[in-house]
Amino acid sequence: MTSFGPASDRLALWVADWGIPAGLSSWIAIIFLVAAPTLGIIFPIAGVAQYFERKIAALAQRRKGPMVGADGVVRLVIDLVLFWKPRWQRQAFQSRFESLPVVRSILGKIRQWGLGSIAADGVKMFLKEDMVPAGADRLLFHGSTYMVMLGGFMAYLVLPFSQGFHVADYPVGALFLGAVTGLVAVGILKAGWSSNNKWSHFGGIRAVAMIVSYETPIALCIAAVVMWSGTMSLQGIVAAQYHEGFFSFLGWNLLQTPLMLLLAVVYYIAGLAECNRAPFDLSEGESEIVGGFHTEYSGLRWGLFFIAEYADMMLVGGLFATMFLGGYQSPFGEQWIVALPQPFEALIHTAIMAAKFLASVGFMMWIRWTLPRFRIDQVMKLAWTKLVPLALFALFGLAISQLLAAGDHGVVRVVHGQYLSAPVVRLGLVGNLLSWAVLGGVAVALVVLAKRFGEPRPMDGAVSDALTGSGVWHRLPRVVAVPQKGDSA
Amino acid sequence: MSIELDRDGDYITLSMGPHHPATHGVLRLVVTTDGEVVTACKPDIGYLHRSIEKIGEQLEWVQFVPYTDRVDYVCSMNSNHAWVLSAESLLASTPETRLAIPERAEYIRVLFAELNRISSHLVAVGAAAMDIGAFTPFLHAIAQREVINDIFEKTCGARLTYNYMAVGGVVRDMHPGAEDEIRSCLKVLEKAMVDFNRLITSNSIFKGRLGGVAPVDGATALSFGLVGPNLRGSGVDFDLRRDLPYGVYDRFDFEVPTGAAHAGSKGILGDCYDRFVVRLLEILESIKICRQALDQMPPSAGKEDDPVGGWWMQKAANKSLRKPPVGEVYFRTENPRGETGYHIVSDGTKMPYRVKIRTGSFTALSLLETMAPGLMIADLVAVIGSLDIVLPEVDR
Repeated sequence: MTSFGPASDRLALWVADWGIPAGLSSWIAIIFLVAAPTLGIIFPIAGVAQYFERKIAALAQRRKGPMVGADGVVRLVIDLVLFWKPRWQRQAFQSRFESLPVVRSILGKIRQWGLGSIAADGVKMFLKEDMVPAGADRLLFHGSTYMVMLGGFMAYLVLPFSQGFHVADYPVGALFLGAVTGLVAVGILKAGWSSNNKWSHFGGIRAVAMIVSYETPIALCIAAVVMWSGTMSLQGIVAAQYHEGFFSFLGWNLLQTPLMLLLAVVYYIAGLAECNRAPFDLSEGESEIVGGFHTEYSGLRWGLFFIAEYADMMLVGGLFATMFLGGYQSPFGEQWIVALPQPFEALIHTAIMAAKFLASVGFMMWIRWTLPRFRIDQVMKLAWTKLVPLALFALFGLAISQLLAAGDHGVVRVVHGQYLSAPVVRLGLVGNLLSWAVLGGVAVALVVLAKRFGEPRPMDGAVSDALTGSGVWHRLPRVVAVPQKGDSA
Repeated sequence: MSIELDRDGDYITLSMGPHHPATHGVLRLVVTTDGEVVTACKPDIGYLHRSIEKIGEQLEWVQFVPYTDRVDYVCSMNSNHAWVLSAESLLASTPETRLAIPERAEYIRVLFAELNRISSHLVAVGAAAMDIGAFTPFLHAIAQREVINDIFEKTCGARLTYNYMAVGGVVRDMHPGAEDEIRSCLKVLEKAMVDFNRLITSNSIFKGRLGGVAPVDGATALSFGLVGPNLRGSGVDFDLRRDLPYGVYDRFDFEVPTGAAHAGSKGILGDCYDRFVVRLLEILESIKICRQALDQMPPSAGKEDDPVGGWWMQKAANKSLRKPPVGEVYFRTENPRGETGYHIVSDGTKMPYRVKIRTGSFTALSLLETMAPGLMIADLVAVIGSLDIVLPEVDR
């Protein structure tokens, strides 16, 4: 019988009670387990996340962001239909809030904050025509959507949200992650190729080149964390970060050694590239290749790409939290939450996890609305000449420190201890201070050396002063002689 | 699937435009690429051709002013300025037809031309940043431009195509309180530019994208007839406002920023980053000029709708426009997109015999075909953004 962990087994047995053959019932259970979180959780979260992305964009751009949607013709219609209403009420309908009194009712708040835009986006996506361009490869064109979605959503199966609260706790969860997220690249390539559009083609090829490159540093990061925790199960990785006492965040991988911090930075940057977010959004790069791989997609089919992107973002955030930020564990006093009766524990843990990965996602949005886009060769250079060497450096550094500090069993681990086949490394206070001091010293030395021997800063002196308003602008030397006043008519 | 491959190799021909997001209007580029690398690029222009030069032959001199708005709608004031100065310089060739232009009108013209230069450069640098993928700086720049547009709207009633300058002066005086509004606008703008530079100009990804890309040396720039910020970005220190001053430009103290090798992130003179930085610095210089113009400006006559030297106020002007002198004139002005010249041939009738417009974007676009081979598609977009091409000015 095909199994996908105890949850799927239980569900399969339940389905089998209806007289469905055993092989089929287990597959139904698995499909349900993929579909339920997808439809029930990720779709709504993606809608809400998109609302927050708009708000964050508006914050960066000093706008109000989504509010009551009404303008142009709608304004005119409202003015005509509600002509007897006072002016401020008509303005309220027209999203002109300058002269409005404070809205107190919940419905009014929803309107004022533009929460209706979430539903409006969804409705728009469902109602728009699903176009297939002439000459497109229909099978691949349709299939690639599901492939991209599946790649993003399957990974959620192994993401732990609380002790025992997960779809599947694979002993080789980390490997499973690498396997299913690879589907995204294939899906995007197919989407680009099947659209019969050169811009889509460019987008697909760019995306694959990028995703395949950035999977290397990601795999190295995951390998390092797996090595450090001694388990491939994500539940085990979380459990390994358990720390007794009020300051339970001291157990988080991120704070174990500076190498872990380095690894976290590498993972986050590579993760951004993995889910095609700015500054790595070359595969859709609107100002360059129109819309990239989803140029020809419309309606819900485009929406699925869109939701898959958000799902990928949340996955990267979730994995970041799991690997470096102690997963679902609270930063302060984890043992009290563990001691709570089951439903409360799971709820609190899930809320903490959600807060952690939504913070990650929010940071990604902030980055997106701040930074410009890389060029493809710069992206490749960043991956292969910076991130991969850094990840390798951190991997070997962790291996060596594990070798030196192994056998320190000073920590009591009560949570899912059965997964810990190797002792978790604890450097101790002196070791920690020493390693942070070494990292800080290296950083300071690098800065000093760069200032002393490096190339001059790109913008310095007069130009920089003039641009930042901190100095007087001096005239730069003239380079080419040109005709001057009075030379000729 | 039918991606056409060239018979000789793996080349793809892309039709970039005329509705591509990065071509700033209706430019079409026929790009041949080898993977991401451009091997050939042919600009295909003419999608926005409206026969403005021909229309100039069918209209009286004063009637042509609204059409100059449409030559370059990002800086209509400057286009107006160029036309009225050309017309006035031809009328000034005989003592009978010479117009007396009030000093206040001259100052208002320069002030508004500089304000419009600021707003045009704001669009240019914002759009360049947007082409690189940063959307936020564009909106920051546009927000500042809105303030300037508000001032223009209060004075002349329009936000884009102003039709404000008239042969002999300007249509009407500035609205009451305009001076304070302009001063506070400039103050806010200076702060906003510091924010803008912190946000995008000093960003290392941005410098990496623009620095060292498509450098144009001074000699090439001169041989291609590059003008304005693009020319100065290549290190050529030439600005008509300083070197051949028109209007009252000789009364102001300002610097002419040029590109410098150390301003680019890779130290190559005349790269995209130099052109970008020159525009930013010119905004700061324009702020200086505006302040000086406000300080030196003679006071208003007092009435709001008092036409400051508009042609209809001068009987002599009316007469001289009916019978302009025979001859031709080519008058150059420094517009945001470089030197704009109006060549007017007059046969003594009330309509010009021939109008020819020389614009900066046209020559800048001609450089693209030479520059493009070897660049990547993303670079091509950066180059278009840094050259600040405005298509109606190319097609006219």
